[in-house]
Amino acid sequence: MPAISLLQHIAVRHAPFLIASAVLLAAFQLLICAAVGSVDVSGALETLVHSLPPLMQEIVSSQLFGGFTPRGLLAFGWSHPVTHALGSAVAIVLATRAVAGESETGAIELLMSQPLSRGAYFAAHVVFALAAIASLSAAGVLGTVIGQGVFEIERFGPGPLLRLALAYSLLQGAVFGITLLLSAFGREGGRVASGGFLIVLISYFGEAIGRLWNKAAFIRPWTLHEYFPPNDILVRGLGIAKPAVVLGSVLAASLALAWARFRTRDVP
Amino acid sequence: MVALDVAGLTKRYGAVRALEQVSFSVAPGEIFGYLGPNGAGKTTTLRILAGLVRADAGEARMLDRPARAAAARASVGYLPGDLKLYGGMTGSALLDLFARFRPAQPPVLRARLLDALALDPRDLARRVKFLSHGTRQKLGIVIAMQHDPRLLLLDEPTTGLDPLVQMAFRDLVVERAQHGAAVLFSSHVLSEVEAVCGRVAVLGAGRLLALESVDVLRGRMVRRVRVRFRGAPPPTLADTPGVAGCELAGLDATLHVRGDVNPLLRLLARHEIERLVLPEPQLEDIFFHYFAGGRDAGD
Repeated sequence: MPAISLLQHIAVRHAPFLIASAVLLAAFQLLICAAVGSVDVSGALETLVHSLPPLMQEIVSSQLFGGFTPRGLLAFGWSHPVTHALGSAVAIVLATRAVAGESETGAIELLMSQPLSRGAYFAAHVVFALAAIASLSAAGVLGTVIGQGVFEIERFGPGPLLRLALAYSLLQGAVFGITLLLSAFGREGGRVASGGFLIVLISYFGEAIGRLWNKAAFIRPWTLHEYFPPNDILVRGLGIAKPAVVLGSVLAASLALAWARFRTRDVP
Repeated sequence: MVALDVAGLTKRYGAVRALEQVSFSVAPGEIFGYLGPNGAGKTTTLRILAGLVRADAGEARMLDRPARAAAARASVGYLPGDLKLYGGMTGSALLDLFARFRPAQPPVLRARLLDALALDPRDLARRVKFLSHGTRQKLGIVIAMQHDPRLLLLDEPTTGLDPLVQMAFRDLVVERAQHGAAVLFSSHVLSEVEAVCGRVAVLGAGRLLALESVDVLRGRMVRRVRVRFRGAPPPTLADTPGVAGCELAGLDATLHVRGDVNPLLRLLARHEIERLVLPEPQLEDIFFHYFAGGRDAGD
């Protein structure tokens, strides 16, 4: 099957990058656990926050850290920019290389001249990317689980961890889908990657600003990051039905539009 | 039966006409030359056939299937004009990669091609980005031909190859045609098309200017012969059969000779010549013939 051969090729090509990203994400979550378990980080932060004005105290303690509990701090590890940056880097790189990157290097010309349909080419890239993002999420969760065991921090149940992994996968899947849409229209990898990165930045900061500044709160429902709530999942034990619907819809719509463009465009 | 059938192929990029109603066919065992200067539409045609570019109008069929169908490419070998390979892969890994896309057609010709093109096994073990342009082109040829395709689409295939390898490559193409493969050989080098092709399509500005045998094309070729005489040029120079134009400047003469040059050479042999330059006909001259209204009544 040509599509399986392509899938293998994509996997071999991206393996070092993906393994490095997964190890870094797991290590980062482990580091968060180490910090929470071995140092009185919550006490230090609480002292720090108490020195802030009352309004800031409320925002920082309840909104950002989910309270100064170990769970809240571990949830903060999943909202940390490093966590987002690693996931988005994987999503953006895979989406960019799928079409625009291959067009820019010219390698797509020889690939697409093989007995490989456009549907198979597109599906191979999407399947691989979603599997890679899911694996990355699993690696991060594994880092948290191992860290909780090693540093004797109160463990999360499997339900919240699964929901966390799914929500993180959906968030990065949505980033992948949107960047793939740009990629399907593009011929230059750098521009597509920049576009994807810009969208992630706007979404991340839009959500953060909306959270901190009431007048900008209307922005939040329009950002992707609003629908990845580690605090709600890990601290409050809430479900992710709404985030799953919103992020899943963004992913599905962007993939559909990207396919509509890719199936008819000229390559390279 | 035809291996490749192109009918009314049209493609525009915005206001630019890349192809306009181009039609031709190639039979099994035929090497069909596709001649044209840069920008004539050769690459666009081949990309449409390879399923990379969508035609605005017209139809292309390869081996009795629509060219856009992935299955049509199963027994087709394509060499892009601007070959780009994965620089981080070794040559042998690259050949294996493209062989895996055709599990039903093993790379039976690989060893033969590597030998004929003098591709060093040490080069195959190196990463592509460290290989010379010519070696990469050889890899592209092996990728296109290793599965013994029934139809070969070759876009400027000899680019970057040294003359000896060019000859070896032309022999390979002739050999595959003798085994029944149809070949679409795109080039802007008149001499190499003349050397291997039976029929030729001449493309200019997206339009098919001519579709004829190489012999007929050869008859239309115009050579610019430059001669410096030791004495006065013969007064009958311009009237010599085949001489379509004659420019005299002192002892120098520039002659435009169409077709057979022997009558001119016989005339020159009777005179003292200081210098004689008899270049290969240039594609531009062929185009000049078509564009400047030099068509014969039978065109």
